[in-house]
Amino acid sequence: MSAVWALSRAAARRRRLQTTVIGIVTFVSAITIVVALELFSASSAPFEHAFAQQQGAELVAAFDKAKVTDAQLVATGARPGVTASAGPFPQVTVDISQPSGAGPSRLPSVPPGPLTVVGRPSPGGRLDRVDLWSGHWPTGAGQVVVNRAPGGPSPVGSVIELSDGQSLAVVGAAYSVSQSAGAWVTPAEADALGAKESEMLYRFADATTSDQLRSDLTSVTGGLAPGALAGSRSYLTLERQYSTSVAQAYVPFLFAFGILALVVAVMMVANVVSGTVVAGLRHIGIMKAVGYTPGQVGAVYLLMILIPGAVATLVGTLAGTLVSKPLLSTATQGLGLPAPSVSPWLDVVVLAGLPVLVALAALASARRAKRLPAARAITAGAAPSAGHGLRAQRALASTALPRAVSLGLGLPFARPARTALTVATLALGVTAVTFAAGLTSSVIRYGQLQQRTSSVQVTAAVRHNGRSLLVVSAASDQRTAELLASLPGTRTLTAELQTVGELVGPNVRIDLDFLRGDTSSLGYPIVNGHWINGPGQAVVGPGFLKDHDLAVGDRVTLTMGGAPATVTIVGETWSYDPSGLMADWHTASVLDPGRGATRYEIGLRPGTNLASYIARANRADPSVMVQANGGLNGDEQLIPDFSTLFTVLLAIVAALGVLNTVLLTIRERRRDLGMLKSIGMTPRQVTVMMVTSATALGLIGSLIGVPAGITVHRVVVPAMVHATNAVLPSSLLDVWTAGLIAALALSGVVIAAVGAFVPARNAGRLRVAAVLHNE
Amino acid sequence: MSTEQPPVQVVVSLDTVVKEYGATTALAGVSLEIAAGESVAVMGPSGCGKSTLLNMIAGLDRPTSGSVIVQGEDLGHLNETGLCLFRRRRVGMIFQFFNLLDDLPALDNAAIAAQLTGVSATQARRRALELFDELGIADRRDTYPALLSGGERQRVAVARALMNRPSLMLADEPTGALDSHSAEQVMDLLIDLNQIGQTLVVVTHDEHLATRCASRVVRLSDGKMVGEQSVEQLL
Repeated sequence: MSAVWALSRAAARRRRLQTTVIGIVTFVSAITIVVALELFSASSAPFEHAFAQQQGAELVAAFDKAKVTDAQLVATGARPGVTASAGPFPQVTVDISQPSGAGPSRLPSVPPGPLTVVGRPSPGGRLDRVDLWSGHWPTGAGQVVVNRAPGGPSPVGSVIELSDGQSLAVVGAAYSVSQSAGAWVTPAEADALGAKESEMLYRFADATTSDQLRSDLTSVTGGLAPGALAGSRSYLTLERQYSTSVAQAYVPFLFAFGILALVVAVMMVANVVSGTVVAGLRHIGIMKAVGYTPGQVGAVYLLMILIPGAVATLVGTLAGTLVSKPLLSTATQGLGLPAPSVSPWLDVVVLAGLPVLVALAALASARRAKRLPAARAITAGAAPSAGHGLRAQRALASTALPRAVSLGLGLPFARPARTALTVATLALGVTAVTFAAGLTSSVIRYGQLQQRTSSVQVTAAVRHNGRSLLVVSAASDQRTAELLASLPGTRTLTAELQTVGELVGPNVRIDLDFLRGDTSSLGYPIVNGHWINGPGQAVVGPGFLKDHDLAVGDRVTLTMGGAPATVTIVGETWSYDPSGLMADWHTASVLDPGRGATRYEIGLRPGTNLASYIARANRADPSVMVQANGGLNGDEQLIPDFSTLFTVLLAIVAALGVLNTVLLTIRERRRDLGMLKSIGMTPRQVTVMMVTSATALGLIGSLIGVPAGITVHRVVVPAMVHATNAVLPSSLLDVWTAGLIAALALSGVVIAAVGAFVPARNAGRLRVAAVLHNE
Repeated sequence: MSTEQPPVQVVVSLDTVVKEYGATTALAGVSLEIAAGESVAVMGPSGCGKSTLLNMIAGLDRPTSGSVIVQGEDLGHLNETGLCLFRRRRVGMIFQFFNLLDDLPALDNAAIAAQLTGVSATQARRRALELFDELGIADRRDTYPALLSGGERQRVAVARALMNRPSLMLADEPTGALDSHSAEQVMDLLIDLNQIGQTLVVVTHDEHLATRCASRVVRLSDGKMVGEQSVEQLL
């Protein structure tokens, strides 16, 4: 066993506390870095990643079976420019029936209307490897797998009823990023349903622009009978739709937290490792006096730190990978995409990178020790040189502060570099806490604005057997509306019919929300134009206008399968579903006369007890589910949840940084502490002194971190809102109250005090005789 | 018949050595020669430069000017690694506060010096145990430094210094932190070493130690040599 290995192994074993701190810091840092990198990876071009993971189809084309044979279609896969193809798969468009108003909906996942069903033997293949996340692939007649992003309840077990009387049992749920179908059945079942088209999937050598894809399509269809191509869709359309979706709001959020987590973890490791080396100067001096060469000294310290560092990196990387799996799944559900697999290369990066980081931090500090003559290293190790903090100590000594406090305040000046690193770690921790607090407030306010909780306190949905009804008769609607209006406490009542229709022209399916009653009381903030005040008027969100290249004042025609109706867009609200349109009730009666409202929004009179009102309303009509309006939905709740997780991780890392700093200070100053105790300093005063030194750093960290967190919030929140195509209301940024800022400023002090308390208390318990004996 | 004296072998040669720490001059042109087998005590008041002089001879620090030659090796020409290798093979050093490695048990503290020269751990421990036996601390072999008495710690330090059979033994206030009984034991050890031919340089405040262990006393004051006496003259 070499002298280097013998000493480094002995040091790692004997210095249990130091080894443990290095291990824990590296462990938490490894987890943080793995999670941050995985989220980075997931949030960086998530559509592209999901598309690549599924080997998505760049072009989905439907061909008329009457005009082209399967052999001809297979041959298109060999056309110039085509790099891969799949198909042909029989395709049929079925019509999902509207459920009767009297009965319950049996369509929990697929709304009424046309549905593209494709016959595929399996979810895999060369292209469009769909993610079957629930149930199994159809194996026989009457079975169907619906296309839906993972998350939420599984539709398996429900039944899809077709307008021709047939029904299909939902046996699975799968997700195709290429959106190659609305549902899948076996090829035989597709034929049995009357498939008149064949679907082909393609990837090309050049498909990065619309022009290239048009050229590719021309190449594929060249030579086929005229009219053989029934329709096609490029992945660029999907990519564009995704890039303007609400889900994009997650990307800047994940990015900001990922950066914070990475920087804090890296600084923390550097702080702990360099502190260990600096605190070991005397030890280094002795080693040199005995005959260790500078290289051997460096090797001893490197090994001493790498032994726990490497083990903690390994365990932390594994733990980070395990933690990342559910987080990625949750995050990408928020993104509306299937969960990406955890990237093994990221684990390799962390496994190799973190020990290198540890080594670099150790070597950077060891260089100083290497340069220092042995004689000076031995004496330097006893305590920091007096010059550093002497002036500050003198100034503090002349204040009226208790001596334990003034001594504690002077300690950070003795090691300016270590103090700077610790303050930086704390400042980043406070930045994270501040950003998280601001973001959570903004998200809650976003929810309040979205759900208009100041205008609407209660919502009521007509249900049957626990499920929302899609169709309600006018008579039933009238009874419910009268009942709700008659309840004591009802101030305003608005009825809504939420359904699906089509925008005539572009022929795209849109969500329709027809409003009846005192609609101005709903409290939608209008950023352009005005609210609905007459028949034939509609209000939409910024996303709708952008997607359809419309402006306030434009007219659009709607249809729900029957007579069309034209409405004028009279207003733009700050944020609303990009595929949604709100219109007056008159338009609903033109499009589908006799339909009743399915939902109600109620404003309460001031002083009305919310819980009593809801209980009374639910008792009055059990078929109506009345509940309080408010709270965050699943996607919105995800952001505060992630914020909390990262904040807790970063706060732990920052507190560990303080713990390490206090430990090193105590080790360096054992003789001073023993001397102070020998002249009468009580254990409590020693604890106060050490905690004071840490809380001073915490306060400085807060003074830096709080403004930094507010700045990050002011950058990220607009980016998130912008990503959703919404207009930023100033109230989303104005979340900073004096009380909140004061509480956040305290967070740095609290983190520092928590990190310092245990070692400080132990310092108070040092036995004077033992300390002075050992010196 | 003429009786020819054998040539005196100079082990340590310092030529006008100056050492400055910023504005403070620790050594102001010290010149000194020490012959093989000689035992020299360096004495003087606190802050006169005794320990600095010893550090120069041990290669633990470098002079600002002047030369330090030990066993023909000009230490000024050695880099940091060269100085470490020099100390490892040529010098055994004993400090006032022992400077043992807290993480290693007593025996390993001594053995590590031999291991650094490439000796296997087993051989190094065997040699260390022999020395521990001679020094009367074999029963403390597995004890960590923090649990040893001052005298025991200094004997471990002596064992460590002797591990590689150095040609030069340097001791910086070796009894300064010891009780009188332990101090006597350490003095006896140093005398025994010198009697078997070990060249010895001892820095001390203690006239008793100097007269017992040294054949020559060098006096320093304000970084300068102010006197040199044989022990006979001193007595």
